[in-house]
Amino acid sequence: MLWLDGARVVCPASGRDEVGAVGIADGRIAHLGPGRPPPGAEVVDCAGLVVAPAFVDLAVHLCDPGGTWREDLRSGAAAAGEGGFARVVCAPDTDPVVDHAAVAREILLRPPPGARVDCAGALTRGLAGQELADIGDLVDAGCVALSDGRVAMADTLVLRRALEYARGFGVPVVLRPGDPALEAGGVVHEGELSLALGLRGVPAAAEEIGVARAVALCRLTGARLHLSHVTTARGLALLEGAQAEGLPLTGAVPARHLLLTEEEVDRTHYSTSTRLHPPLRPEADRRAVLDGVRRGALMVTADHLPWSRVEKELEFERAEPGAAGLETAAAATLEALDGDMGVAVRALAVAPAALLGGEARLRPGGPADLVLLGPAGAPRPVRTRSPFDPLRGRPFRWGVLGCWREGERIGGAPLRGSGPPGGLSEPRGG
Amino acid sequence: MAGGRAMTLGKDMLGLRGMPREDIVRVLDTAAALREVNARRIKKVPTLRGRTVITAFFEDSTRTRVSFDLSAKRLSADTLSFSASTSSTRKGETLLDTARNLDAMRPDAIIIRHPAAGAPHLLARTFGWSVINAGDGINEHPTQALLDLLTMRDHLGDLQGRRVAIVGDVLHSRVARSNIFGLRTMGAEVVVAGPGTMCPPSLRALGVELRHRIDEVLHDADVIMMLRIQRERLGRAMMASTQEYARLYGLDLDKLRRARPEVLVMHPGPINRGVELSPEVADGENSVVMEQVSNGLAVRMALLYLLLGGTDGGRDAVA
Repeated sequence: MLWLDGARVVCPASGRDEVGAVGIADGRIAHLGPGRPPPGAEVVDCAGLVVAPAFVDLAVHLCDPGGTWREDLRSGAAAAGEGGFARVVCAPDTDPVVDHAAVAREILLRPPPGARVDCAGALTRGLAGQELADIGDLVDAGCVALSDGRVAMADTLVLRRALEYARGFGVPVVLRPGDPALEAGGVVHEGELSLALGLRGVPAAAEEIGVARAVALCRLTGARLHLSHVTTARGLALLEGAQAEGLPLTGAVPARHLLLTEEEVDRTHYSTSTRLHPPLRPEADRRAVLDGVRRGALMVTADHLPWSRVEKELEFERAEPGAAGLETAAAATLEALDGDMGVAVRALAVAPAALLGGEARLRPGGPADLVLLGPAGAPRPVRTRSPFDPLRGRPFRWGVLGCWREGERIGGAPLRGSGPPGGLSEPRGG
Repeated sequence: MAGGRAMTLGKDMLGLRGMPREDIVRVLDTAAALREVNARRIKKVPTLRGRTVITAFFEDSTRTRVSFDLSAKRLSADTLSFSASTSSTRKGETLLDTARNLDAMRPDAIIIRHPAAGAPHLLARTFGWSVINAGDGINEHPTQALLDLLTMRDHLGDLQGRRVAIVGDVLHSRVARSNIFGLRTMGAEVVVAGPGTMCPPSLRALGVELRHRIDEVLHDADVIMMLRIQRERLGRAMMASTQEYARLYGLDLDKLRRARPEVLVMHPGPINRGVELSPEVADGENSVVMEQVSNGLAVRMALLYLLLGGTDGGRDAVA
């Protein structure tokens, strides 16, 4: 048995926040709370550290099949484990697109070491926004969510039909709030800084319109909707209005948007790691969405979109938008939240797990999907293939020291233990 | 790298945003001194002998390229011209790969014009040679603004408190943007006018006053700078007909009569005659368009001189 001794156990789902021990055996939580390790247990002194349910991400891009020079299931799942995520849902924008059960199976039948990789299906064939994909087949093949891809769907009628059709299959629909025509050509947030930098902007209005459309269609169709990127104060206000009304609507903000503002583009002299969609926002929006996370209105996503040097070592406006994030999201979230573990765990674990119909809760007998959080240690080897993450190399106060999926170590540096290795060695994979 | 670069200008000239006033003044003073070279019968000084200057233009251009090329030649630099239409970028080579190839030829300065904002900055932070921005997307065109500042200074002296009206597509104009940064640094007031798609209220963030109609900026301007309309570059639904544009935002003699008699009329060229400027105004006595072109040569000589190692305000070149 692995015995994490003297840790602060943070489990918002059960209201637990106390110092105690967590015992792990046979992939399950064998002990939770005060107590002494049984004879032979491998004891790790976790005084000053936090044990919490492992994180879950609803929309990561693993580029497998079809883009494996950027990332693949193996490197992506290893990066997830390193970042504290024991479960991720990969987006359907692969090549071919996950619009057919065979593609879903191709992904799901190759479970990599590291985090559990689930799969989202496409709402429309080829993610083209015109014809419905075989949504029933996709769900039956194991897709746990449906999604419209990296750009908001242009045709609102098709979106309405897709939501009506998807509703009966009982999986959440992940939508990107935006307005494709209004966003076209924009590469940074439209405002004072886009003017100063001479870059075309994306107005915040594009996100507001996208959120408003999702709210209206949620009301119209009753579909369970999740907005993958809410990054503006007004977008958040619209979402919270709908939530107050009782509509089944949730939202997430990329972790980096909690920490960075549009100024990062200027500070880094047009570094393409800061070319993102949605773009980094002004300070007022950053504060607003951070408060939204504190209130529980928003969950946090790593927004992991790994590009290679081919797509990123270009002029700013020609580079693909997006960045890697799995390995820095938790540290960034904790940094932005000033180490508020309860809020971070709710936003990174409890809320996304609930959306998938699961539960991120520590309980004796339950699966040992855990993270160990604490003061950031030495930099860890990077597991994602993508060199482009605007947060990489930043000094963080807290970090992920360990991650277990069903009792198996999938991330973090070796721990100081009392006994022989087992759960303590370097995670496999990567 | 630092040896021989006593100027605060640094390695590159990427834009006027954030450029200190004293640096602008130094460039203008040096340019004014170097103008004398262009008036000689033998229009050449040996200052940059043995240095290599490459003009790399990824957008069509005639006057800016010719101006840079000639300015380097008058300082005795070896010049090489590279353009996207005849190069491997058409074959899919990335900007960085193109630049690596140029780098292998050991240039001293590269002058780049590129349709993407920030492209010169990418080269500047990747390579050791000097980068001069000859226009990047809708971002900046610093040498144009410097030559405009020199032209204004010639006529008006100190620009502090002077009033400059910029008319046209300010939002998408790198000329306007660089001029606004430079003029504000030099203490001038800037007022812009144009249709709402080209002069949105957000422009006020750049420290300019905003008007809609050209009539609202004519009467008290010391300078009227007319921007070129580039229909082929405008996005969807940016303007109505050219005729309506000319009537509402173009400058003709009738409108010019409402301005101060000594007002300077400027245009970065090439002019759409009958659109931004009527022929009578373009060729009239208020127009300083050709002075702008002459000053362009001097300003570009000054920049090459200062970035590539001159240390004494141009005196060794004109001694």
